[in-house]
Amino acid sequence: MSSPEPRSAGRRSSSSRKRGSQRTEPQRKGSQGASAQSIGMLGRASAWLGHHQLVAVETLLKLLAQPLASLLTWLVIAIALTLPGALWMAVNNLQQLSDTVQQSGRISVYLQTSVSDADARALQQQVNQLNHVERTELIGADDALQQFAANSGFDDALALLGENPLPAVLLVEPPLGTSSSDLSVLRLALENMAGVEEAVLDLAWLERLKSLLALGQRVILVLGGLLALAILLVVGNTIRLAIAARVDEIRVVKLVGGTNAWVRRPFLYTGLWYGMVGGLMSWLLLLLCWLILQGPVGELASLYGSGFELQPLSGGASLLLLLAAMLLGWLGAWWSVSRHLDDIEP
Amino acid sequence: MSMVRFDQVSKRYGAAGKDALNGVNFELQRGELAFLTGHSGAGKSTLLKLMMMMERPTRGQIHIDDQLINTLKPSQVPYHRRKVGVVFQNHQLLFDRSVYDNVALPLQIAGYSPVDCARRVRAALDSVGLLQYEQRNPIELSGGEQQRVGIARAVVNKPALLLADEPTGNLDPELSAEIMDLFVRFQQVGVTVLIATHDIALIERMGKRRLILDHGRMLGDTHVVA
Repeated sequence: MSSPEPRSAGRRSSSSRKRGSQRTEPQRKGSQGASAQSIGMLGRASAWLGHHQLVAVETLLKLLAQPLASLLTWLVIAIALTLPGALWMAVNNLQQLSDTVQQSGRISVYLQTSVSDADARALQQQVNQLNHVERTELIGADDALQQFAANSGFDDALALLGENPLPAVLLVEPPLGTSSSDLSVLRLALENMAGVEEAVLDLAWLERLKSLLALGQRVILVLGGLLALAILLVVGNTIRLAIAARVDEIRVVKLVGGTNAWVRRPFLYTGLWYGMVGGLMSWLLLLLCWLILQGPVGELASLYGSGFELQPLSGGASLLLLLAAMLLGWLGAWWSVSRHLDDIEP
Repeated sequence: MSMVRFDQVSKRYGAAGKDALNGVNFELQRGELAFLTGHSGAGKSTLLKLMMMMERPTRGQIHIDDQLINTLKPSQVPYHRRKVGVVFQNHQLLFDRSVYDNVALPLQIAGYSPVDCARRVRAALDSVGLLQYEQRNPIELSGGEQQRVGIARAVVNKPALLLADEPTGNLDPELSAEIMDLFVRFQQVGVTVLIATHDIALIERMGKRRLILDHGRMLGDTHVVA
């Protein structure tokens, strides 16, 4: 056994540190005592940053070193995020669709069959004077019958009927951008006019769609809240196991003066990585959904004569998804660490 | 100017338990080396744990480096521990990292730069004669070598006070003498050292001050100043 060299373990003056020599003259411990340990503010800050960097890299490498276990956690987080994410994407797209549809709102005014063509034209003049009316088009009962016969192919059956069963229709087009409340007022005014059987706002289904969308947003909130809780639990439990596997290390670290923040740091970074990679995977899944659905949706829309295209997640929404995922991972880790770390004392 | 001062310190575990320590008074001067002896269960470990703030006293006052430590807030405890090096019978090494990383741990925690860190770790390993093992895993080393790695970790931060709890408990007499020799050399460069041990034969050969605990009371103090 080589003989121990106690000198270098003794206290060293700061000037000897500058020389950088390994073996320096031992210095009798003076009254300055522990000051040999103190490090300047700048050194402290750079050490703090350095440790953050080190821990960030180390924890990520540790996760990548056990890919299967990490992948499972990442997938759970990704799927939990993708569900509300996909719903959000759907609602968002429907909302955009409903916005474009509103631009072409139109009111069909069905006249009573007793109204003569002349009276109908007089009514049209009257309607033209109303507010929020840009254009009107009168389809007489005969024209309506002809159109119906041509479109439906029921002309033989119609010929059997003695008289024309169809009413005359006045199509009323409000200017673009008319609010839905103005449209309702206009519809009511039209319906109350003499000779009018019924005025139908073609936007009734749109109203239903809108309230469905509002419901959808609520569902996203509730579902998103539940799944966020699930992510917290999954990350929290994973971190709990990680803490249990490193109890010895935590004891030693606390024994040699590690603060709680120092002990906590690797676990918080692990949580952050779980969230971040899970969020990235979820974003990829959403992109995949979009790629799969975009073609068929476009085709369906074109069948309805609409140029509607399914929109992918916007840049802002993608960023939000990622940040939310990181926050959830970090919070889950924090929750777990604050519950279990205090129990581990040397 | 004492390094350690105990004033009427008592420690009771649990509400109805008996006193592990009862009215203990003693003082250690700076740069002094003393042994703490007594039968098992006499309170040696409790006394060391109080100095490390692993336990808090039920009554009394403990000053270390002229600072009253039993009123420290939990957030201040880590900073207190950085000033005290501690060596255990089971050396508490981490087997998932190299000897170097084990010894470097207190420095990394205290925020030393990697360059500073490397120099100090090598100096500490050199001082216990294990520089050639820095990249080995401590599990590959013998019991005596593991204990010396533990000592290197305890002194790497240059603590003013070094505590050891049965540091030779698992070692044969020859290795024990070498370990004790190490502690004496640290004392020679100004470190205050307190070693809890029941190895009476070894202590008597060394002729240092002895603090004797018996059922939680300080029974004797030889006061042989080194």
